[in-house]
Amino acid sequence: MSGAVATAGAPSRPRRRASSQRGRAWALWGSYAALVVFVFVFLVPPFYMVATSLKSDADIAAEVGNPWLVHHPTLQNFIDLFMMPTFRGYFINSVMVTAVTVSVSMVISVLAAFGLTRLGFKGSAMLASSVFLTYLIPDSLLFIPLFQVVRALGLINNLWCLALLYPTLAVPFCTWIMIGYFSSIPKELDEVALIDGAGYLRMLWSIFIPVALPGIIAATIFAFTVSWGEFLYPIAYLYSSDQKVLTVGIAGDLIRGDVFQWGKIMAGCVVAAAPPIVIYAFLMDYYIAGLTAGATKG
Amino acid sequence: MADRSAVAVSLPPHRMVRRSFMRRLLERRSTVALLMCSPLFLLIAGLVVYPAFYALYLAMLNRRMTQFVGLDNFAFLLKRDTFRLVIFQSCLFAVSSVVLKSFLGFVLAHLMSNIPSGRQRIWRGLLLVPWVIPLALSTLGWWWLFDPSYSAFNYLLNALGIASVPWLGVAWPARLCMITVNVWFGTSFFMIMYLAALKSVPEQLYEAAAIDGAGTFQKMFYVTVPMIRNVISVTVLYSLIVTFANFDIVRILTNGGPESKTHVFATYAFQVGIQSGDIPLGASVSLFMFPLLAVFAYFVLRNVTRRGKEMTV
Amino acid sequence: MSINKVTRRKALKLGVAASVLPLVHIRTAGAAGQVSIALWDHWVGQGNDVMKKQIAAFAEKNKVEVKADLIPSASGQILMVENAEAQAKAGHDIYALSVWEAHNHVDDLEPVDDVVGRLIAKYGKTNDAVEYLCKVKGHWLAVPSSSGTQTKGPEGRISILRDAAGLDVVKMFPGSGTTCPGLDAWTWDAHLKAAEACAKVGKNFGIGLGTTSDSVDFAGSLFAAYGAELVNAKGDITVRSDAVREVLEYAQRLVKLLPKDAVSYDDASNNRALISGQSALIFNPPSPWAVALKDAPAVAADTWHFPAPAGPKGRFLPYLPYMWGIWKFAKNKTAAKELLEYLMQRENVEARENATIGFDIPPFVSMLDFKIWETAEPPKGTLWNYPNHPWHKQVAHIAAMPAPPEIAVQIYNQGTMPTMFAKLLSGQSVNDVMAWAENELESFKRA
Repeated sequence: MSGAVATAGAPSRPRRRASSQRGRAWALWGSYAALVVFVFVFLVPPFYMVATSLKSDADIAAEVGNPWLVHHPTLQNFIDLFMMPTFRGYFINSVMVTAVTVSVSMVISVLAAFGLTRLGFKGSAMLASSVFLTYLIPDSLLFIPLFQVVRALGLINNLWCLALLYPTLAVPFCTWIMIGYFSSIPKELDEVALIDGAGYLRMLWSIFIPVALPGIIAATIFAFTVSWGEFLYPIAYLYSSDQKVLTVGIAGDLIRGDVFQWGKIMAGCVVAAAPPIVIYAFLMDYYIAGLTAGATKG
Repeated sequence: MADRSAVAVSLPPHRMVRRSFMRRLLERRSTVALLMCSPLFLLIAGLVVYPAFYALYLAMLNRRMTQFVGLDNFAFLLKRDTFRLVIFQSCLFAVSSVVLKSFLGFVLAHLMSNIPSGRQRIWRGLLLVPWVIPLALSTLGWWWLFDPSYSAFNYLLNALGIASVPWLGVAWPARLCMITVNVWFGTSFFMIMYLAALKSVPEQLYEAAAIDGAGTFQKMFYVTVPMIRNVISVTVLYSLIVTFANFDIVRILTNGGPESKTHVFATYAFQVGIQSGDIPLGASVSLFMFPLLAVFAYFVLRNVTRRGKEMTV
Repeated sequence: MSINKVTRRKALKLGVAASVLPLVHIRTAGAAGQVSIALWDHWVGQGNDVMKKQIAAFAEKNKVEVKADLIPSASGQILMVENAEAQAKAGHDIYALSVWEAHNHVDDLEPVDDVVGRLIAKYGKTNDAVEYLCKVKGHWLAVPSSSGTQTKGPEGRISILRDAAGLDVVKMFPGSGTTCPGLDAWTWDAHLKAAEACAKVGKNFGIGLGTTSDSVDFAGSLFAAYGAELVNAKGDITVRSDAVREVLEYAQRLVKLLPKDAVSYDDASNNRALISGQSALIFNPPSPWAVALKDAPAVAADTWHFPAPAGPKGRFLPYLPYMWGIWKFAKNKTAAKELLEYLMQRENVEARENATIGFDIPPFVSMLDFKIWETAEPPKGTLWNYPNHPWHKQVAHIAAMPAPPEIAVQIYNQGTMPTMFAKLLSGQSVNDVMAWAENELESFKRA
């Protein structure tokens, strides 16, 4: 690698410096310009969703005029949504399931990643990578055979079956993040801990977890995103309103046969998107930092 | 090893012997490691591996599930024109989406790292919006944009004097629409992964490369890419698998139409298995890509592990 | 019942359809047993409420604990839960099955000949489509229900059809009485002429060429009217017939008159086309009309429902039944049967009918005289011709009937017929399309 770089041409230095400064300014403004374009494109659908959520049913049904503008803005859709007794329940269910899923996923993946990287056993390296293979079986296939398992556990139409199923979607990736992070921590640290006489669990708890906090936050956010947005398992296993989560509740309550209540569906999307946006806004730096440390290892 | 620990737990011969044996066992690194991994094993064995084998068994039954037919279902599928179209469409959808996501994510990560880190937060936040809206809901929003009778995109085109495009009504535009939605949804994830990886590349490497006179692209290819190769591999692998399994986008946008030209594995499996009462055939459709993806994943992961070791050493 | 009249205010409430008490769990003192039922989550919330009241009354009377769940059809949920339950051999005792599902679960369903037998003895016969879909090898595998059962005849704009196409549908198919003066003139040729005339004034018929059920049902009605069968009752592929050719030639002319995006229509697109005023006619149950009462009152007041057009072989009305099946693994089959029989009693069916503003079609011909179809408005009488009255001389039909059901279900769910039309639209010749269909159908014969 260094050889290749070394053979690259080397123009004279003084000229390079001046041009590189100008180049950097160009790069900066160019980057801003490009980002503006990207942000614009990325936000077109969310903008349209918000706009639709502010329209009345009659406005939407009429299909005249500029669809990008809200001619008679109204908050009626949001009001209706929150007046629906079921909707608040869905929201709370989503929050609870996500919280439990994230905790379960993190316990499983932190323990596993620690065991695999810092302690290890025969074949642990291979195992570490094959955990990823679980993604190969799509949930659109698994939900049929899984019904038996879920039923055997008595969790059909029970919100908490999701706390069991969602980790299968989150854990492999979280484990990978944590493996990367744990491997980036210098070996000397466990030696210090062992000399100290700490058991493995205490070593993990009091030394590694604090050090690996950014990685844990990164994995947590990933698990959160996955379990907040998942659609297929809840639709196959939850059917009574007191057990449903947000994604499925919105689709089920607002799409009635061949009647779509677009204004409210879009309002529901906006409400469903709000918690993750808030969480990302606050934890983004940790997320990136957590992924960064493990990035070269993995 | 797992066997031995199980035996130790289940047999209560002599208390003292057992205790010391247990203690010795528990003090061994590998035993502890195994114990720590056991929740993971349990989870995957019970909720993925077991049902997966059951699904495989289902895929080998006849339509009424009264007879074992081996690989006949797969052979049957391969002979069908419609299913060949499904293979083509699935590969087109997954591969081009992932390539685009990866490319755009890479570009975005670089753009982002070009600007001062204090300013990055707002831009990152805005760019992450697609990734955080639950996909099943945001796809409904897209569908509403493409809507046949009142497409908001067509309104803009018409305003510019361009004729309406039947977005989801003709095979190629519909395919492009699906890829667009998927790229829109997933690019942010790539951006974040790459951005994190970029930060992990030591600044000295770039300085060294600069001293050696490397230009922007040379730095990218000889420093950045090799350094973040593992992240690229794992992100692409993850995304490829998940995109191959995608259900929501196609189901909501076209339900496989027009003329069954936009079905992917998951939607076709749903139509054949759930809607038309042929669960074994549906399971075969779902499992069709498994061997190919498994081999691909195996090699990617082997390389990742190997490189990971080199780095650690 | 005093709620026959559909007032605007009542229609307004349709919008917020989610019911207040979605989970019914009725415990009765000294309950003798327990039975669970999975119901279709009716798109009209009030229908669910009345259903729940009836179930509660049953539980009270029979000292049975009834657990009822409402499962939406949105995103295929009702199908997914059903299949998962059938696979696991566990779940509800009674499950609401849509169109083809009795045939899809022949081995999982308990025969209900006794229940249906008593109901038929009391209320008279059902129709061919119901028998075809609920009866397997001479045994009833499911009790035909009214909840969700619908017909999909034409639903058109009175003024546009009159002004552009010269069809006075209100005169042709009056909103009361037992005669339809315009019936004989209402043929598929007349339909094509009207479609052409309306397309000229920019109000294309909102007929879809997608693969969802509205598109399929329309195509099925057209095929049947010409006697065209893709697969005959014996299971032979009969694509290459003069009748099929005739249908395709007809379709070749029709598809050019449809909206540009007809191929990407789903079951909601045609509703919107009508409600927004862009379309003169769609084939649908009256849900768009009911929605328009609130969102576009002028359109609703100008909407009329009438019988399907006739072809050389007769008049075939798309008829989509829902039914209630009892799983073989059900724990309380006796109570399940009693509950179903109770729910299908005339007075109960009518009460639910009133709540859903006539959307549901009862499976028994003798129940087609409910007042709601006469009184629903505006315009008064718009729903009178929505149910399949004897004087319409229509055959209740499901697309792909009478092919053997295990083949027909695939023709239906994979949208073979509308796909054939879509291929014509994309420029393929009638022969190409026939060849394609032949090949496609070959694969449906898998045992």
